Amino acid sequence: MRARAPAARTFTTLIAAGALMLAACSTPAEPNELLVLEWSGYEAEDFWTDFKASNPETEVTFEFGDTDANILALMQGGSQADIFHFYTGWQQFYVDEGLVQEIDTSQLTNWDKVPDSYKELGQIDGKQYFVPWDWGFTSILYNTEQVDKVTSWDALFNEEYAGHVSMWNDGPGAVAVSAYINGWDETAITDEQLAQIEEDWIAQKPLNAFYWTGEYVDLCPAVQDGTVWVAYAWQGCYATALAAGDPVAYANPEEGRNSWVGLYGISADTESYQLALEFLDMKLAELTCGNAVTLFYYGCANGDVMAAIEDPILIEAFGINDPAILESTNFTPLVTEEQRGAWTAMWERVQAH
Amino acid sequence: MLGRRGVLKFLAGPPFAWLTLFFVLPLVLIAAFSLRAGSGAIGPAESWAPSLEQYSEVLGTPAFVRLLGMSVLMALGIAGLATLFAYPIAYFLTFRAGDRAPLYLTLLLVPFAVSYLLRVMAWKLMLGPEGGINSLLGTLGMTDEPIGLLLYSRPAVIITLVYVWIPFATLPIYAAMQRIDRDHLEAAADLGAGPWSRFWRVTLPLSVPGAAATFFMVFIPTVGEYVTPALVGGTDGIMYGNIIQGFFTRSANWPMGSAMAMIMLVMTLTLVVIGLRIVRPQRLAT
Amino acid sequence: MTTRRVAVGVGRTRVPLGPFYAGMLVLLYVPIAVLFIFSLNAGTTLSFPIESLTLDWYVSVLENSAMLAAARNSFVVGIASATLATAIGCLVAVAVLRFRFRGRGLLLAMAGLPLVVPFVVMGVAFFLLFVAVDVPRSLVTVAIGHSVIAIPYATLIVLARLGGLDPALEDAAMDLGATYPAALRRVVLPLMAPTLLSAWLTCFIVSFDEIALAIFLVGGDPTFPVFLYGQLRFAQRLPVLIAMAVLLMIGTVALTLVALRLRSRSE
Repeated sequence: MRARAPAARTFTTLIAAGALMLAACSTPAEPNELLVLEWSGYEAEDFWTDFKASNPETEVTFEFGDTDANILALMQGGSQADIFHFYTGWQQFYVDEGLVQEIDTSQLTNWDKVPDSYKELGQIDGKQYFVPWDWGFTSILYNTEQVDKVTSWDALFNEEYAGHVSMWNDGPGAVAVSAYINGWDETAITDEQLAQIEEDWIAQKPLNAFYWTGEYVDLCPAVQDGTVWVAYAWQGCYATALAAGDPVAYANPEEGRNSWVGLYGISADTESYQLALEFLDMKLAELTCGNAVTLFYYGCANGDVMAAIEDPILIEAFGINDPAILESTNFTPLVTEEQRGAWTAMWERVQAH
Repeated sequence: MLGRRGVLKFLAGPPFAWLTLFFVLPLVLIAAFSLRAGSGAIGPAESWAPSLEQYSEVLGTPAFVRLLGMSVLMALGIAGLATLFAYPIAYFLTFRAGDRAPLYLTLLLVPFAVSYLLRVMAWKLMLGPEGGINSLLGTLGMTDEPIGLLLYSRPAVIITLVYVWIPFATLPIYAAMQRIDRDHLEAAADLGAGPWSRFWRVTLPLSVPGAAATFFMVFIPTVGEYVTPALVGGTDGIMYGNIIQGFFTRSANWPMGSAMAMIMLVMTLTLVVIGLRIVRPQRLAT
Repeated sequence: MTTRRVAVGVGRTRVPLGPFYAGMLVLLYVPIAVLFIFSLNAGTTLSFPIESLTLDWYVSVLENSAMLAAARNSFVVGIASATLATAIGCLVAVAVLRFRFRGRGLLLAMAGLPLVVPFVVMGVAFFLLFVAVDVPRSLVTVAIGHSVIAIPYATLIVLARLGGLDPALEDAAMDLGATYPAALRRVVLPLMAPTLLSAWLTCFIVSFDEIALAIFLVGGDPTFPVFLYGQLRFAQRLPVLIAMAVLLMIGTVALTLVALRLRSRSE
């Protein structure tokens, strides 16, 4: 009798251990949390409200980067973010450095509402790496009482408006403007061209009241109180000023407007791929996507949401009724690391002059 | 029972440990970055062979060197003005405010608990072309056009930084003045010195270490200042710190940014050492 | 030496020191007053004329749990980092002033050096450090970062005051049988109390409104400046933010008045 009891104990212990090992070896459940690398302001619940409704138990936290360069640097530096948000021109870097993984679009219920041209922007070599979300134009925002009708990007260089211009504090943006004005190929700027661009912008520097970095923090108040008459601007301040009844207009320069699209990627190292997919799917949902439109005056990649816009101010700001605008619009192209390094260094020299 | 000497381990140990771990180590990382070639943030392992490329690039760009010089000059000016304006306030707190001094001091510091961003927005409202001050001057007939230099200019940066530093600048001077033994002043009075003479020959010399401490406390961080120039400096008031910030945030060029930061560090420390040599002989005299 | 009530100093000259102080105070509070007015303004933009007055914004502060959480985070981080920095500043000051040892100059330099490094550089450096040791970003990392940048201020203020304190006082206490730590605690600390308070307050304020470091080091819970910066994109939310900022200032004033009252009570 006594000899059997220890054997029974050993037997049950073995079974228990085996069961535990099986449990440990089976696929662990994904942690119910997401870390998103976002821009300041986008962490607001309005911009993930559908996900919050469908996944109330998931803990969503945010890290911040406030420029495309910073977001890339943070991802390269080892950020643990599951999802990150950046804008067109920077896609190649994430793919080249293995920081992003493919999106399984078959699991996105809202994918069919995204226009093809936007889907393509998120593709590299035919693979869908990024989900487009917010988008908008860049053009010249100007005060109609102080400035004659603006027909070209060179309004930013017009000495008549000295002290009342404002350019965005960004090198690649400045290079793009110079490329438009001079009719150069943005993707193939030569060293001589870059040197000329540097000189032009150094000459332009005194015309600015200031270089702006935060659209709603720096630019909009200055446009609205009359400090700035001519600005390189996204349509957010245009819509804000229009709504307030200010005398502003948004140019359709002969060289064409610029357009940018915000893209979301899923980190290659994430442990929460399924959750991340759902998060992005819910980003495209009607309410969440619509909030980008109503709160920030940015376009959103959900075609149905854009078609349903009725606010005349928004229709005006997005140029919805004028298809010719989109036809002449220049979308931000991909840049190489060398270009990025050279253009940003050029801009810092302009700043230092 | 710990003797006096034994206590030293517990006094010096924790600060050494904390600062080594959380200051020296990060700084070493920055120094390492400054010795890397190429741009971009982390980069592949090959790019980590040490190189002075970044330093030669920075020092070989006249615009950057000029800007560093200008920023140092501005910082010297701001530190001087802040010390000058803080001095009477520290004096007031020490010799006139009596029991109320802590309260008065607190009143000076408390506005800084309100977001700087919001306070600058409020000032911009008043200094802007349509703002309160220009409207006032306009109605009084004193100006035809709005005064440009109050905002988005180099003077605006200097004025704003002096304004922001004065309350903090009073602290070291106040602390030093509190140490002044009133007996000295009484003795001087007994010997027939008038109030101005007592100040000039007793109070002022004894407060110089505090004033020097204030000057350095303001000067050192101001060289690398970037927030205020970005908010009120326009294109004219851009400082060296803005370029460093630009390389880190706009360009993701950490090596270049790190090199610029290290150069500024060396420059500032050199100036401080020189400054201490000038001030030290006076310290020994007290 | 405690302050004796003797009327020395520049006594009866015509130097208008009081008015100068008052003038500085006015200049400091003007933007606060402007903000206060706009926190009561029914309109949502920061421009005159003022339309009508309302307390709605203050009411909605109480309903905005995200904002209240951010404010609470700022207080927690501020208190933690200020206490840490002041403590370290004290340790450094006592070690440097009362002892001779080999690393004396080095310790002082290390305590002062954070002043030289711009916050954006510290932010990147801390980010790298915490990533390298796999420490996730959180309010703890913010507090660590803030404590480091505040140490120079605390050290400087404590040094300036402690330098004038006669070491004989401590020696006397030890002659009477106290250990050195006890001498520090019972003799030096009470004399240094006002200085420690102003050092602490300075460190608290340095942390409270700090954004450049915080934005790198904050994890899921933002501090108030980080929260504010994000919310500034929403034009309509400006008055609520201003109302909160005003309330926070009042809270800080209340905190320090209580501290002052407690200190004078214990004297």
